[in-house]
Amino acid sequence: MKIGGAYQLPLGRDRAYSLLQDPAILAGCIPGCDGLVRTADHEYDMKMKLALASISGLFEGKVRITEQKEPRSFRLGVEGKGKIGFMKGEGLLQLADKDGGTEVSYEGDVHVGGTIAAVGQRLLDTTAKMMIKRFFDKLAEIAGQ
Amino acid sequence: MIAQNFEYSSPTSLDEALRIVAGGNAKILAGGMSLIPLMKLRLAAPEHLVDLRQIPDLQGISEERGSIRIGAMTTHFQVESSALLRASCPLLAEAAAHIGDVQVRNMGTLGGSLAHADPAADYPASLFALEARVRLISASSDRTIALGDFLVDTFTTAAEAGEMIREVIVPVEEAGTGVSYQKLLQPASGFAIVGVAARIRKAGGKISMARVGVTGLGPMPYRAMTVENLLVGTAGSPEDIKKAASVAAAGVEANSDIHASAAYRARMAAVYAGRAIQAAVSRAA
Repeated sequence: MKIGGAYQLPLGRDRAYSLLQDPAILAGCIPGCDGLVRTADHEYDMKMKLALASISGLFEGKVRITEQKEPRSFRLGVEGKGKIGFMKGEGLLQLADKDGGTEVSYEGDVHVGGTIAAVGQRLLDTTAKMMIKRFFDKLAEIAGQ
Repeated sequence: MIAQNFEYSSPTSLDEALRIVAGGNAKILAGGMSLIPLMKLRLAAPEHLVDLRQIPDLQGISEERGSIRIGAMTTHFQVESSALLRASCPLLAEAAAHIGDVQVRNMGTLGGSLAHADPAADYPASLFALEARVRLISASSDRTIALGDFLVDTFTTAAEAGEMIREVIVPVEEAGTGVSYQKLLQPASGFAIVGVAARIRKAGGKISMARVGVTGLGPMPYRAMTVENLLVGTAGSPEDIKKAASVAAAGVEANSDIHASAAYRARMAAVYAGRAIQAAVSRAA
């Protein structure tokens, strides 16, 4: 499934870029994330508790940041596996100055499999969009503090 | 396909149910047409289920001073077949008749469907067109909020921990109002790819009131006010309707899935808005 979109952050570009590289910030923004544990440079183990509608499940996986071109763009990879299925997503995030803040645009691919994909096909797109929106809403909130 | 073990309570009074829900661990069972399949697939594994089926306070449909109150545990079939609703709020009865299949309509409930907040559920299109309100109660609170404030996001409502829907409040339809719900359904699940509800009143040969609700298109159902504004004051000719319906999807980021692309969904929202408005206009006296 292709995903893409843009989000406006009320932050300068350098600040937005550094926040997006910070594991503590990422952990706070990824919905349900329990924390990131560094395993290598720009590579982290992740535990995530998904709770959506009546569905709930634990995912364990990795977050990886590559192709950093500070402060313009980087690639973010997230993958997780749990009893209810697995997900793997990768996307290019680009940062641009816009309206006194920073516009973060993203474009990528998400694969979801297992039980959750078999029965949730109808809702994967909506759900993915909502989680991404929550991520950026949270980032804007943290940045504003 | 067997659910994980769970505790089960079936309280017979509202107070008892609210006490259990206030504990925080219990998940409400309000028909189970979404929850039970998820539990059987082990996508959901609540520790404790509170079945609200035996609580008289959550049942029934009654009229009071221009409003109709529908208990949260009223089944879709009861909504569909209620003589009161058919006479005084036919749009909701019509919408209920579109839900799922006979088994789902016999078990599933209005409150359960709303609390689940599926972005493609049938009710919200009509409930937005009706400007419905939702009454939420907990052991220590009782508040009534607009549907638009209740639905927050995909599968997300404004209900807080310990709260449950007590009833849904819709207006008694004024005589002469034309209503219709038109739906493009996804045949396997019965959910709306898009569904549009319309309410139209006319005065002096012109549309004096228009309400349009849309479900299935985006992350959550909504009231299409731009469509409404374009209708009011026109004669409701096919051209007027087509023009207004064409903006039904304006500003909404449409969903895309294996059943319908975003572009197709947006296009169908316009088509089905046109059909719903046309039918409502022709029924308005």
